Amino acid sequence: MTTSLDRPRNSLVSLPVLFERHGPLTEELLLSPSKFGIGLTPTGLQPQALVPSVCGYCSTGCNLNIHVREQQAVGLTPVADYPVNLGMACPKGWESLTVLDAPDRATTPLLRNAAGVLEPVGWDVALSTFVERMKGIQAKHGPASVAFLSTGQIVTEEMAFLGALAKFGMGMLHGDGNTRQCMATAVVAYKQSFGFDAPPYTYADFEESDVIILVGSNLCIAHPILWQRVMRNPHRPEIIVVDPRATETTMAATQHLPAYPKSDLALFYGIARILIERGWIDRPFLDEHTTGFEEFAQLVESYTLDAVAAQTRLSPEAILRFAESIHQGKRVSFWWTMGVNQSHQAVRTAQAIINLALMTGNIGRPGTGANSITGQCNAMGSRLFSNTTNLLGGHDFANPEHRRKVATVLEIDPETIPQEASWPYHRILEGILRGEVRGLWVIATNPAHSWINQRTARDILDRLDFLVVQDMYHSTETAQRADLVLPAAGWGEKAGTFINSERRLGVVSKVKRAPGQALADFHIFQLLADAWGCGEMFRRWNSPEAVFQILKELSAGQPCDITGIEDYRMLTARGGIQWPFAAGSDEPEQERRLFTDGKFFHADGRAKFLGESSRPLPEPPTEKYPFVLLTGRGSAAQWHTQTRTAKSALLRKLYPSELYVEINPHDATQLAIRTGDLLRIASRRGELSARALVTPGVQRNQVFLPMHYVATNLLTDAVFDPYSHQPAYKACAVEVTRAG
Amino acid sequence: MYPTAIGMIELEVLTNRPACASAEAKSLSGFDLLNRLLADQQSLSAVDQFSNWHGEQSGPQVESRVDTPRYRSLLPATPPEAGQQYAFEVDLDRCSGCKACVVACHTLNGLDESEAWRDVGLLLGGSRAAPVMQHVTTACHHCLEPACMIACPVNAYEKDSATGIVKHLDDQCFGCQYCTLACPYDVPKYHADKGIVQKCDMCSSRLAVGEAPACVQACPHEAIAIRVVSREQVIDDAEAAVFLPGAPDPQITLPTTTYKSRRPFPRNLLPADYFRVNQQHAHWPLVVMLALTQLSVGAFVVGLLLERLWGGHMEESLRPLHAGNSLAFGLLALAASLFHLGRPRYAYRAVLGLRHSWLSREIVAFGLFAGLATAYAGAIFGSSYLSLEWAKSLGVSTWIEGLGWGVAMAGAGAIFCSAMIYVFTRRECWSFARVSLRFVLTAALLGIAALWLSILMASVMTPTAQLEEVVRKCGPTLCRALMGVSLFKLLWEVAIFRHLLFQRMTPLRRSALLLAGELSSATLARFALGALGGLLMPAMLLSQFQSTPVDSGIVRFAVTTGLLFSACLAGELVERYLFFAACAAPRMPGGIR
Repeated sequence: MTTSLDRPRNSLVSLPVLFERHGPLTEELLLSPSKFGIGLTPTGLQPQALVPSVCGYCSTGCNLNIHVREQQAVGLTPVADYPVNLGMACPKGWESLTVLDAPDRATTPLLRNAAGVLEPVGWDVALSTFVERMKGIQAKHGPASVAFLSTGQIVTEEMAFLGALAKFGMGMLHGDGNTRQCMATAVVAYKQSFGFDAPPYTYADFEESDVIILVGSNLCIAHPILWQRVMRNPHRPEIIVVDPRATETTMAATQHLPAYPKSDLALFYGIARILIERGWIDRPFLDEHTTGFEEFAQLVESYTLDAVAAQTRLSPEAILRFAESIHQGKRVSFWWTMGVNQSHQAVRTAQAIINLALMTGNIGRPGTGANSITGQCNAMGSRLFSNTTNLLGGHDFANPEHRRKVATVLEIDPETIPQEASWPYHRILEGILRGEVRGLWVIATNPAHSWINQRTARDILDRLDFLVVQDMYHSTETAQRADLVLPAAGWGEKAGTFINSERRLGVVSKVKRAPGQALADFHIFQLLADAWGCGEMFRRWNSPEAVFQILKELSAGQPCDITGIEDYRMLTARGGIQWPFAAGSDEPEQERRLFTDGKFFHADGRAKFLGESSRPLPEPPTEKYPFVLLTGRGSAAQWHTQTRTAKSALLRKLYPSELYVEINPHDATQLAIRTGDLLRIASRRGELSARALVTPGVQRNQVFLPMHYVATNLLTDAVFDPYSHQPAYKACAVEVTRAG
Repeated sequence: MYPTAIGMIELEVLTNRPACASAEAKSLSGFDLLNRLLADQQSLSAVDQFSNWHGEQSGPQVESRVDTPRYRSLLPATPPEAGQQYAFEVDLDRCSGCKACVVACHTLNGLDESEAWRDVGLLLGGSRAAPVMQHVTTACHHCLEPACMIACPVNAYEKDSATGIVKHLDDQCFGCQYCTLACPYDVPKYHADKGIVQKCDMCSSRLAVGEAPACVQACPHEAIAIRVVSREQVIDDAEAAVFLPGAPDPQITLPTTTYKSRRPFPRNLLPADYFRVNQQHAHWPLVVMLALTQLSVGAFVVGLLLERLWGGHMEESLRPLHAGNSLAFGLLALAASLFHLGRPRYAYRAVLGLRHSWLSREIVAFGLFAGLATAYAGAIFGSSYLSLEWAKSLGVSTWIEGLGWGVAMAGAGAIFCSAMIYVFTRRECWSFARVSLRFVLTAALLGIAALWLSILMASVMTPTAQLEEVVRKCGPTLCRALMGVSLFKLLWEVAIFRHLLFQRMTPLRRSALLLAGELSSATLARFALGALGGLLMPAMLLSQFQSTPVDSGIVRFAVTTGLLFSACLAGELVERYLFFAACAAPRMPGGIR
């Protein structure tokens, strides 16, 4: 700061200044014009170059111009002409750089010593310890006794490297991603219905619909920049939100259907029945492009209006109005997020939505679609290239043709490729419990906070012989339990590509130096491949760009073919490119959707109607636990387990510092509590205390907890969808009492 | 750990080599590979590559973030005419609570860590059938009658005559933070490191070149716009109390922001933090300054009254001692007040605001008081060296007494200014009656207590028969007066707890809740000290007067009076701390805390 010493007029000989309009303090905040079309910019932070980079939080995939000055990232502004965000970003995106400077960044490898304390060691020690311990476990218990848990937060090239290294190089059989917690349901639903995991839409569809149906999605808060597209819709659309709770999104809706928790499947079957009964279906489309409709029509026969009204606790009028709106809409789009994906009958619910789109012919046209909005920035990259559930490039482990193709591209022995898909996440944890898995490698995720039924999850992690956590921060709940912590570079400190919700590949740029000895996950994989003794297998994997070329080859001939994308430079120049884009295709349009020709990815080219009877809540409320606990996103300034967002002082100002619970005024009166009072909430698995937020937005006998606070998962119940194995975070039974 | 690696990092950065040349990496393994990758990690060569591509791609035709039809629709087409000004317009139907505006304000204006001139609150209410959760983005309202500007003692605020923007002049500010108390919307924010207050200026430099303010630029939903409003309309709206549910009364400052919504607000709409009672900033230098200035003025007045009521002068040694004590406390208070300024070296600028700022007036009034008090104390010291006869013949004593009353008048005026500083904020707990009664009672209470301190000092330093005589004559009255004032003040302070019985969440109830809850230990201490120094000790003194001669119990007397003074002073200091900490401040609706 400038002081009086710097200024001659304040020296002893000059007179005191009575009025000072301009001076050093004013200058500190002076703005000056900048090049690059970003307008006035703080004078001291004028960029010398802008480097675009796709944001590293959610799957919207906003592009941010990082301001670089003297080889330092000094700020950022959202890119104005990127087709995703149109010059906008949410608070997390704006604060992306700040969280990289946190004091709890992991800067050296840490190894738990004899005293049980994590202590800094050199990379050489870390690498040799990793190899020694993991190989030791494998020698004793077989190759499958070591597994990995990965993420939707790292670039596609790193995901592919990890999957290939772990499975082909290290001989692991099982690995899964935290995408299991958010997207697995959409993956399975699409795969079964369309023949490939293929979200069909482009974001422009939000602007082109005349009816927008949002299911289990608080778009305003979870995907604020997508809500922008809804707000830009010029057709005065009917906005229908199915959510047990009133949210920012339901406030803006024209119809809110607060269906009883997890009664949504019955609701959609009821709607289907009404549509069929009234002949409000697209017969020609059904005949030409789908199979299984008749069986489906039979299934929904029992979902009469009265039965559905009773189950959902909605009025028959509201249900009828919903069905009529679908019928009257010319371009109806269906969108779903975690309210659907995280349930005990998630896949069938997602497919019930897909079925509604199919039977009304609302697919393949602008403003339509059965559209899953993804969670994490690179969940889609993980779905295609993580080599966990699918073989690299959306292939099938069980298919010998696929194995041969992948082996040829990678120049490896087809025998090194496992013939079965990995266990899903919860099965890996179960494997630990059974002693089948003894070594675990966790990359960029925080299961000790995020996994369902936390106390058990932590207990399971603590049973491991060897736990390695590779993360940006040494302070995560999971890193704190690790035997070995590998310090990773974060978003902004490394390069690669992400694939967003609408299948758009975008480039992530390296604009900042990682602290200390932290290394890009990519480099860590290079080092581990070398230390493990399989460096030769990955000699072509020497840079993200090089791996991108391998991924292109792997995608050839697949629905997700990206062979037409030359390189990162082309991606940057075109404002990202959506898959598919095969070599030899025409110049890609900026906004493309799938199934415009009515051809789906099943062998017969048809989409499948799938469904089965709805099941009741796995843990219904009882006398002892009379409330249903809902969980979800709290604010747009918070991301998941908050390992990053909690590092920004500004973001911290934007969300409540303490865990709070939304409770209905009626229940609050019964408990004689007011907003701000402490409540104790207990399930069969644990208890916590939270500050009451009294709002009619939650229904009676329901409470809502945001998921970002570590205590929330003490209560949740480890129930999984039978097809996607996604945890059902959204509903369990709890007791609510006054604390103390 | 890897000295070679560090060398390579330097080299990499200097030479900007492309990352990881494949031919080389192929052959590397073990330590060489590690060193190579550690060096690669520190290389930012990709930055040049990407920015080059970007440059090639967009060149000078790069689409501007700031000059688009979208933004133009959010800015007024023409500048304000006479009787008009710029104002924020918030479309509540479009505010979804994403808070991008807050972060963009911070980023695009290059503010410090957690600083932003915008905030987002939340209103909750409605019924089971139609619940309402309404986020509200809010910044400075660029009021027609900005309380910050009127309050500012150094004229560090200006309301631009053409645009109506209320701008803070950072270099003129001396960090008194009075505007942070005066603004009903909690807009000006104190920056402790800089020692000044800062606030939103509607990005006036951006508006001047036709760019949208940061928040307007960054709102994905176009909820914030800049519009031209007529001042008449603003006044009419304030008259009709059309502003925003849960917001402070618009009649205080005439805020210009328009909150619009197509939906009617339910009557039970309340801020999400409505039931949260927040302890306020204590302002310790002000606590000390207020208590001690009031002590000083009170002590002078009590001294003068003593002389007047019991005729003639106080005892030779007591008189200069008491004047000295009174002055010393006054000067200590003024010194303490300097600690409240972020930039005390500019304290002299306080004279600028005399025409409108009660803080300026207070500073000047206390300056006058200090000057007169110094002269008065000096005169008393001087006259105590002169022979009484000679002084009497010159009429010095009349002259000194006149000066003394001058000191008292200046002090009373200054205390009035002190009170008005708080009254100006229009907080209910700082109403004229509440503040002035509080300050006058403190002056009386501590004035008497200070006289006891002076008596104690004189009794120890120069015990005389005359002194004992004075004490015998005035002591019981002084004790009774102190007990009366104390009892009255304590009862009056206790009376605030009656608000706990009321249903409504009034500001006074908030104060009572704070006093009884979060601040309960301070509250207990306050009443214990008040009772000890103002009731118990004077009662003991009284009993001493009745039972034993003073000189025989000098130790007992010393302990009693010492405790009397310290407890009274400490009690009033804690009382003043609570005056700040428990005074519920108005603010815009806040979020979930």
